[in-house]
Amino acid sequence: MGSRIVPQWASKPCAMGIDEAGRGPVLGPMVYGCLYCAQSYLKTLATLSFADSKTLKEEKREELFETLKTNDSIGWDVDVIDPRELSAKMLKKNKINLNEISHSSAMGLIDRVLKMGVLLTEVYIDTVGDAGKYEAKLSNTFPSIKFVVAKKADSLYPVVSGASIVAKVTRDRALREWVLDETAENMQRNFGSGYPGDPQTKSWLENHKHHIFGFPTLVRFSWGTCNTYFKDIAEVLWESDNLDEDGASNNSNGKRQLKLSNVGFTTSKKRSEEIESSGKGRCRFFQARKLEHLTHF
Amino acid sequence: MKVFGKILGRKGGKHRVWIVGGKMEKTIIDLKGKREDLSGRVHQLPCCVKHNGPATVSHYFKPKPSDGGDEGLPLQQAHFRGRLLQGTTLHLPHGYSGFVLAKTSPHKWQTSATFHDITYWNHHYAPSPNDDFSRAFHWLTLAQALHNPVTPEELASSSATL
Repeated sequence: MGSRIVPQWASKPCAMGIDEAGRGPVLGPMVYGCLYCAQSYLKTLATLSFADSKTLKEEKREELFETLKTNDSIGWDVDVIDPRELSAKMLKKNKINLNEISHSSAMGLIDRVLKMGVLLTEVYIDTVGDAGKYEAKLSNTFPSIKFVVAKKADSLYPVVSGASIVAKVTRDRALREWVLDETAENMQRNFGSGYPGDPQTKSWLENHKHHIFGFPTLVRFSWGTCNTYFKDIAEVLWESDNLDEDGASNNSNGKRQLKLSNVGFTTSKKRSEEIESSGKGRCRFFQARKLEHLTHF
Repeated sequence: MKVFGKILGRKGGKHRVWIVGGKMEKTIIDLKGKREDLSGRVHQLPCCVKHNGPATVSHYFKPKPSDGGDEGLPLQQAHFRGRLLQGTTLHLPHGYSGFVLAKTSPHKWQTSATFHDITYWNHHYAPSPNDDFSRAFHWLTLAQALHNPVTPEELASSSATL
């Protein structure tokens, strides 16, 4: 996806907008999109009736996306982050939070476009986390670019509005065409928008929770929303969860993130013995290999 | 890393029935009987699932071959409860079988299935021969050396070197 041929205007100073779609939903991919053009084209771009994608109807967004794809003065690209990747990163031992994932995605897009040979001089981007810190991080990584990190950048700068259309349309299509990994019977595709408050999403989640596996991998297991559905499913204790870890951490939205270690109650000592064998009290050979002597079944 | 209800036993006529425990309480493990072969379907996860019973594993747990692994192990990846698992399949050494046992009476166990490989999974890091699970297999080589009968000739030659 994205523009592949480097246009002639790319050697002139260019501006780029970056925006995201699908950050809040409990399921499906998160998409980062970018749109870029020559600085000299920005005035014309402002007349193309791009607006913040959230204020547009779906058909209008689709239409605008098709138009901008055929516009030779505009380049674009997307980074689609799979829900499996989001869950895995946010639930690994050294957790990566959603802000970090977002920053890396945006920087990945900038890097890709620069490597294509586009002379980026200005990048406009909606803030994720603290705007000042984000700007410093971006400027450090790409010293040749002037960054404008702002709240509501998608409604302030047409180039970001364009990026927001690219991201939103890509996210909607990805969800619409999503092929579920799971092959169990009665798997439905009526996910709704994916937002935790959407009644259709709620009922889909309720109908697709599984006693052992939790949810299909389309779902972001790291979202606090999952907790509500996981109350009565089989408890899973992980070796990698720190035993002294307490409480759930907060993500940027102030929502509680799921920690499976908090499901159910066991004391640390009992829990560690339950999960892992130790070889305690045996010769070092066995200790090193965690081989326990089983005296009874 | 407890493998509940699974033990590794030695093949061969003499060891078909194991008797464990001493004194008054004897447990009999019958390694004959029904023998469904679970090879390729035995997974060791880095977690404890508090559930005992059947599950629709093949519909939800979809391991895929993956790249990486500096030790030349063929790696796989899968997801479970949102976490990335990286695994590899270990074949049990020649002469060994895996057994899935079911308790039939207080001190009697029956074989319900056997297996010849185990796929073990790490949470978010690639398996390597240095993992505890791989290293546990060292014991099998050692056990063999310890328990092999010593012939009078071997005894004589080792006494001579002492």
